[in-house]
Parts: sequence; C-alpha cells; structure tokens
Amino acid sequence: MTVGQIPEAATRPRASARSGSAPSADLPRTSMTARRQRAFYMFTSPWVIGFLLLTVGPMAYALWLSFTTFDGISPNWRYVGLDNYRELLSDPVTWDSLSRAGVFAITSVPLSIVAGLALAVLVNRPLKARGLFRTLLYLPAVVPPVGAGLIFKQLFNRDSGAANGVLDIFGIDAIAWLDDPYARYVILMAVLWAAGNVMIISLAGLQDVPRELHEAARIDGASAWRTFRSITVPLLSPVLLFQAVTGMIASVQTIMPLLIAAEPTPKGVTAIPQTNYMYMMHVFAEYFALGRYGYASALLWVLFVLILIVTGLIFKFTSGVVFYNVDPEAKK
Amino acid sequence: MTATTVTPKTPASGARVRVRASRLVLYTVLVVITGLMLGPFGWLVITGLKTTPELAASPVHWLPDKIQWHNFADAFTQIDFLGYARNSLIISLIYATLVTLSSAWVGFGFARLSAPGKKVLFGVLIGSMMLPQMITLFPTYLIFAKLGMVDTYWPWVLWGLSAAPYLVFLFRQFFAGMPRELEEAAIVDGCGYTGIFWRIFLPQSWPVLTASFVIAFTWSWGDFIAPMLLLSSDRTTLSVALMTSYVTPSGLPVNNLLAAGSVMYVVPILLIFLVAQRGFVAGMSTSGLK
Repeated sequence: MTVGQIPEAATRPRASARSGSAPSADLPRTSMTARRQRAFYMFTSPWVIGFLLLTVGPMAYALWLSFTTFDGISPNWRYVGLDNYRELLSDPVTWDSLSRAGVFAITSVPLSIVAGLALAVLVNRPLKARGLFRTLLYLPAVVPPVGAGLIFKQLFNRDSGAANGVLDIFGIDAIAWLDDPYARYVILMAVLWAAGNVMIISLAGLQDVPRELHEAARIDGASAWRTFRSITVPLLSPVLLFQAVTGMIASVQTIMPLLIAAEPTPKGVTAIPQTNYMYMMHVFAEYFALGRYGYASALLWVLFVLILIVTGLIFKFTSGVVFYNVDPEAKK
Repeated sequence: MTATTVTPKTPASGARVRVRASRLVLYTVLVVITGLMLGPFGWLVITGLKTTPELAASPVHWLPDKIQWHNFADAFTQIDFLGYARNSLIISLIYATLVTLSSAWVGFGFARLSAPGKKVLFGVLIGSMMLPQMITLFPTYLIFAKLGMVDTYWPWVLWGLSAAPYLVFLFRQFFAGMPRELEEAAIVDGCGYTGIFWRIFLPQSWPVLTASFVIAFTWSWGDFIAPMLLLSSDRTTLSVALMTSYVTPSGLPVNNLLAAGSVMYVVPILLIFLVAQRGFVAGMSTSGLK
C-alpha cells in the first residue's frame, strides 16, 4: 500500500457498466419522473436545510449584528447603521492586520504549492522505496493543526527547541522564535511542513499526464525543465489553481498564530506577537476576548466579501481552466 | 522506457556513471527532505523523554541523559487525559458517523436523481466547499449560545446531520459511476429510492464510506476552535486540553509532559492514517481533481 496509487480503485465502484439515461420503457414515464424529482429533493434536503440553518442563517445574523452595538450583555444595544464599518475603516489595526494576512497568503500559498509540486515531481520518478518516501513525506500533512502547533512550539522553544540548538552549533545566539519579529516565520514553516497535501494532489494529477507526451518532448530534444514547464505545469493547472484558491482561503483564516501562542485562549489572543496578529486573530479577539459582537461581525463580513472578491478574480483571470461536470449522465 | 531505445547508444561507461551520480543526488535530496519532515516528530518524542532541568539547560541538551519514560505516565495523571480523550472520541465518533451517512445520502441524490434546480444546487454545493469555515463558525457560535447548546454535543450532531459538501462530492463521484441497471431492477421490484440507497448502493461503497469516516474523524479529532468555544473545561476535547492544561500552578508550561501528551494525541491519527491510507489519500486527491 502506497500513498501514490490513487483514485481508481478506491473512489470508483467495482462494476461500471454504461448507463442509459432513459427509464425503462415499461414504466409510466411521467410518474417515474415525478418520483425521481421528489426523491431528489428528499435526498438533498439534509444538506440544503443544514446549509440554510448553519451557514446562511449565521452569516445573515452576523450581517444584521454588524449594524448594531450588540455585545451579548448590555440590554441597550441598538441599530447604528454603518457606524461599525466606519469605525473599522478608520482603525489602523484593521489595515495592519489585513496587510499581515495578505502578506502571509501571498508568501505561504505559492511557497507551499512550489514545495508540494517539487516533492510530487521527485517522488513520481522511478525510485526504490517510492511508496515509503511518499508516505513519510505526506505524514506531516495528516497531523491536525493543533498537533502541528504543539510540535512547532517545542521545536522553536527558546530554551529547549532544536532550532536554537542548531543555531548554537554555528555560534549564533538563541532567538526568541515565538516572539516578534520571528513568530511569523514559525507559522510559515508550520504551513510548509504540511506541503504533503499539495504533493499528494499534484501527484494524482501527474499520474494522469500521458507518458507519451513526455517521451515525445524528450525525443524532440526538450530539456527536463522545458518539459516540466511546457507540459506538466499546463496539464496540472486546474489542480494548481484549485490549490491556490483553497490555499488562499485557508491561509487567510488560519488559526496557527493562536496555536503557537503562549496562551491559546480568547483572552490570550490579545497578547500574541504583533507579526502574527493577522486579520482573523483580530476578528477572533473582537468577538471572544472583547465581546463586541456587532463590531466583530462587521470585521467578519468585510473579510468574507474580500475573500469572495479575490476568489472571483482568481477564477476570472484563469477562466476555462477548471471544469466541474454537473450531470454525471452526460459524462464521456 | 521506450525513449532509451530511440536514443543512439552512447559510449556505455560515461553515461552510466552520470546516471549513477544523478541517482545518488536524487536519493540524497530525498533522504534529507524526508529527514527534515520527520525531524519535528522526533524532536517531540525526545522532548517528551527529558527532565525539566534538561529542557531549561543552555545550550540545548540534545538527548536526555536518562530516558524519562515516566513522563508519559505523568502526562496521563497531570490532566484527566483519558477523560478528555474520551470526550474527543465521543464527539469524533458522533460527527464522523452522522456526517458520513448524511453525505452519502445527499451524494446519492446528486449522483442518481435529478429535478429542476439541480444545477444551481450543485453549484452552491461546490461553492460552499470554498466557504471560509472559520468565518461562519463565529456567528454560528452566537446562535448555538442563544439556543442553549453551549456545553452540549448537539452542535456536532447538527453538523453531522447536515452533511459536509466535500464528502458529498466524494460520494457523488462514486455513486455516479455505478450501473443504472442496478436501480432499474430494484424499481421494477417495487423498491423505493430509500431502499435502493440502503440496500444496494450503500453496501457497495465500503471504500468511500471508510475514506469519508476517516477524513471526518480526523477533522473533528483535530478541531480546536469549535470545542474551545462551545465546551466547558471538563467536557472539552483533548485538543483544547493539551493546548491549555499542562501548566504549573503558576501558569508556566510543563513542556516535557506537554510533549509526551502531544505524542499520544498525534499517534492515533498517524496510525489511523497508516491503516486506512489508500482510501484516505484517494479521498484527498479526488477533491482537487475532478
């Protein structure tokens, strides 16, 4: 069993005979259709209801709160229109934390995609113990963020961490990694540590790249780099785009700064190092350390809209690359 | 490889040396990278085996003078480790079981049935996979608090019942590939779609059921923010307890016990992954592809 032998066996059913889309002729067609339609709504209803109650509802509630002074305690909260939004626009903390989140996203996402892709190319070669390498390289990506936080806190502990031990070998003084200004590099490394995620997804894509293409390119005298750039990357582009989008969204809302904080609680969030006080931490602090639900909801909605805009822009500028097949019967 | 048969044979020895050298470089690079990736695990274990003075020593004391196995036992007693692990296990089992079944149910609908609005719903489903989870969690917490569901496991039941888009997609991909004759025969026999789902489709989907269960289990085992916000300190999960409870009375972290506890928190996940590797990886990679 290796990490690399991917979907077919496990995600496809054993039998896969072709299917016609028309119901059998001897059944009354209209009642069949009506039945299938009713069944469709019945089957999809748990998700639809859950989505409305646990996603749309809370977001609408937050939108309403963002126009109020609600704090959960004071009975005198009231509608204040756009005041919260005006306040957040004029608060430098908003802009500072937003730019930190942006910088983190545009460094961590490309770095982990490049690292993951490089790993995928490495372990896609014919190697001895290839399966073992794949498994071991992927292992860190399996560790939940809490585990990664705990591990990196030990690794970068000022007194007992291996990082300072290595520095000491080279005669460099110990660094307080978990404080300003170094804390941001620790979360960056914690994110890169999980590059196996990108590796595994790219690997699945790499295995779909027809070998003939590579061979043809080689015969034409293309260098390995040229083949990679002109064949592998374009064919992998839908996968890489998906990684970029989900990676961006994940990085903006990462709680890694909280996980490596000295005190990872609502109270402790206000004391995390400045460089790690990213937008999501600010939202979290306003909600749960300060209980300013109205103002925090305004911050939340600003981030939500920003994410939608950025995602939309990414898809717009790369349109036609990602394709979702909506109707399975229309496949092939 | 066919390419080598086309290239004219080079003077053998020089080429072979070059090939061998490049292999050596490749393996060296791989071994170094793998070492770097596994290093943090190793350091966690080593830290868990040291004494407190060794951890405070400067410069860094690389290996423990005497291996402190009892740290692992102490990690169990310093906090109610088993109690928290049990809470984690209950929540993860509830969530993983429910969400796997509900996602299979919804996935069946998208794969085998259709009705007006299907395309829109499917688009929303795919879009909601990209919705920022953390963002929707905060106001959801406020609502759960209002409904008196704080410090209960009800939120996980509700999350479980409402299916996860990502897993729905996984099941939908699987069910869409099954032959139509299966359900036609069942319909002729007077079997409804519910029956078809439970008796025909579900029993055939063990690989995806396993993958989905493992993925959902690790999600909720590793979840931090939701249990931290929703559960009081004795009903909370191991994730939260580890992050906040290994401290001296004066509030300083007890790093060797914390590291030992962390090892025991991470190892189950790694074991589950190694056992269920195939399905897990298949699930992970399908998400990014199709």
